[in-house]
Amino acid sequence: MQISIRNFTKTFDTTTVIDDMNLTIRDGEMLALLGPSGCGKSTTLFTISGIHRMDKGQLMFGDRDVSGLPSQKRNVGVVFQNYALYPHMNVFENIAFPLTVRKDAKADIDREVRAIAALTHISELLERRPGQLSGGQQQRVALARALVRKPDVLLLDEPLANLDAKLRLEMRSEIRRIQLETGITAVLVTHDQVEAMSMCDRIAIMKKGEIVQIDTPADMYSNPRTSFVAGFLGNPPISFLSGIAMDSAFSIAPIKLRVPLGSRQGIADGTQLKLGIRPEHFGPEGDIAVQGRIAFAETQGRENLYDVALADGSVLRSIQPAGKIWAVGEPVRWHIDSKSVFVFTDDGQRL
Amino acid sequence: MRASSPYRANLLGLAFMTPAMVLLLGFFFLPVVLTSVFAFTNMSTATGISGGSYVVTGNLLRSLTDEGLDAKTIDALGQSSYVIDQAGLEKARAAGVDAKFIAEIAERLKDRSFTSSSAFERELKTLPSRPTRIRDLKIAAGAFEQSVLNVRYASRGEMEAALSHMLENPPEGAIEKIATASYTGWTWTTDNFKNLAIAPDTWRIIGNTVFYVVLTLAFNVFVGLFLAITTFYLPPAGSGFFSVLWLLPRITPVVLYAVMWKWFTWEDGFVFNIAQDLGLPAFNYMKGSVASAWTVVILVNGFVGASFGMILFSGALKAILVQQLWASEVDGASRWQQIRYIILPQMRWPILFVTSYQTLSLLSSYEQIWLTTNGGPGSTTTIWALEAFKTALNNYTGNLQYGLGAAMALVLVAVGLVLSIVYLRLFRFDEMMSKPKIEF
Repeated sequence: MQISIRNFTKTFDTTTVIDDMNLTIRDGEMLALLGPSGCGKSTTLFTISGIHRMDKGQLMFGDRDVSGLPSQKRNVGVVFQNYALYPHMNVFENIAFPLTVRKDAKADIDREVRAIAALTHISELLERRPGQLSGGQQQRVALARALVRKPDVLLLDEPLANLDAKLRLEMRSEIRRIQLETGITAVLVTHDQVEAMSMCDRIAIMKKGEIVQIDTPADMYSNPRTSFVAGFLGNPPISFLSGIAMDSAFSIAPIKLRVPLGSRQGIADGTQLKLGIRPEHFGPEGDIAVQGRIAFAETQGRENLYDVALADGSVLRSIQPAGKIWAVGEPVRWHIDSKSVFVFTDDGQRL
Repeated sequence: MRASSPYRANLLGLAFMTPAMVLLLGFFFLPVVLTSVFAFTNMSTATGISGGSYVVTGNLLRSLTDEGLDAKTIDALGQSSYVIDQAGLEKARAAGVDAKFIAEIAERLKDRSFTSSSAFERELKTLPSRPTRIRDLKIAAGAFEQSVLNVRYASRGEMEAALSHMLENPPEGAIEKIATASYTGWTWTTDNFKNLAIAPDTWRIIGNTVFYVVLTLAFNVFVGLFLAITTFYLPPAGSGFFSVLWLLPRITPVVLYAVMWKWFTWEDGFVFNIAQDLGLPAFNYMKGSVASAWTVVILVNGFVGASFGMILFSGALKAILVQQLWASEVDGASRWQQIRYIILPQMRWPILFVTSYQTLSLLSSYEQIWLTTNGGPGSTTTIWALEAFKTALNNYTGNLQYGLGAAMALVLVAVGLVLSIVYLRLFRFDEMMSKPKIEF
């Protein structure tokens, strides 16, 4: 079901957390709300679920306006960060709870719960209490409970944040598998760009209550609209250089760095610019030479990370396949791939 | 060194336990032990708490008659006799009787005895130096009187000697029985419990106590829960105000609190005036009828306990993760279903705790009832603890029966101990007690 948020404003006491936001989630897609903490992504999620109410705006589930409905009447499924399982009920009762309060027939409840338990691979845990489950198992129970009454939308609030690294990988693909199998519309709130990129059809990056950019993970990575987006996606992160426009090139005069601006024309000489260079676009290969010194090296096995300090103190990150190893302090003359750099204005807009 | 280390650990543990043990001994074991000791005595104001002496009184004669001592012996105990012996002569001299007259008595009547005062006095009147005034004659006669009645003997031996002197051919064991009965100090006895078991009041008071505890407890728990849940759903400012309001009964000094209830329920009090204006029956609700007295007693105690319950329940409510409440709403639970299926099941332990704790404190608390209805009208609102208190420490007639009161208190201690064990079982206390986290 398509979910659309129109002109949504949310205020807590006197603080406006979200101001006039518009967002459409397509039917059957999984959308990530990605952003740093305090950016309003959880507020948006809880507003869709009805836990928070809108101060202004409209929320549509398909053609149905649910803005004024309490969460009980919205038919949404929510997976909370701490799972919020009911500790006094066993797994079966937890999953059955949405159907029990709806007063479904016993036989129906039993059938539905067993079906969803099979889907989430927890059929053998139905008699256990939440306290007897591992984090990943609790996660599956929470997911089953959210899905059991076939909600219009599945809302996931940082569902992987409390899991250890291995389980996180496992549950990442599990949640995606279940979402695809059920074909449900889903919203995932996360501050982890890897989660967002690996699980979702589209990502909406939020900053200070606004959606900065909404795109597929690949487009978002290769075509960021602002320096914030460019900085948020990618691990290790992009590095930025500050300079000015000079003769159709980005220039840092003291270290004699000149990166041609190429097709980006009409930038007045002297304009302050920021150059974004992803780690994979800086290394021994490339077209623009830069003199620097290895300031930091980190071995990751398959590849190595380097921080290269330039003469003016700015730092460029580089990722290189394992093999040749550069030592910290070693002077290098590496190159920037000028075709792959991003150019931003001083306030972060992409040029 | 290795051998000494566990030993030192034990000593350290003991040192940590010491304050608790001292408090336990001083404030629990000692009172219980003393209560147990007193419970098996007949101590009262009459007996005192130190030793006594041996006296045969008129009352004792009546009770001995009731206990079936033969009439002849009773009669003999009540009689006086007059024996002219050296002791009598000394006594007469000390009483200031004329020396010449004493000499005549010694000379003519020595070693004679008379069974009545009239016979003895008739004989005295025949002596030449007899006093002219009847009063002086009676004083002289009195010096030779011999009787055990109302004479205080310091030891049992003296009493028995006096009795065998008085009684001719007493029945088997009579002297021992009378001597025992004549003791004015306290003695060891199990009569307190026997009397409690057969007294008709006992069962009425037990009934009152059960009625009081059950209803007050129900009020505590239900009102406490209701308040906790309603304030839980109120905005913080409002809930804070209401919490403080409901705490007033608990933080008000108990005497002031009782006085406020009197203003509230007595003639010309608050409720009285409202009832009068509305044309409803207006009387002293605290003491005017059994139903209204019970209502007052249960409300007075109930509100104190309700605020206690409210605090505990509020704390437990705040410990429930807000996400669980959100989850239940998202799952479609109405407010009532949320309370019924999410909140109340997680309140099981606090409810059980308040129930057990309040049962024990209600069983032993009497001060609010004492200060309000004082167990009345009649003794309709008298509970066990109040009756024990009155029996032992605050008796209207002035004869405080420490022994009986202690026996009543001991019954409460026993009931409390049994209930505690039951509750600890329910709480599975042994599971809550884990090994200390820090190793010595």
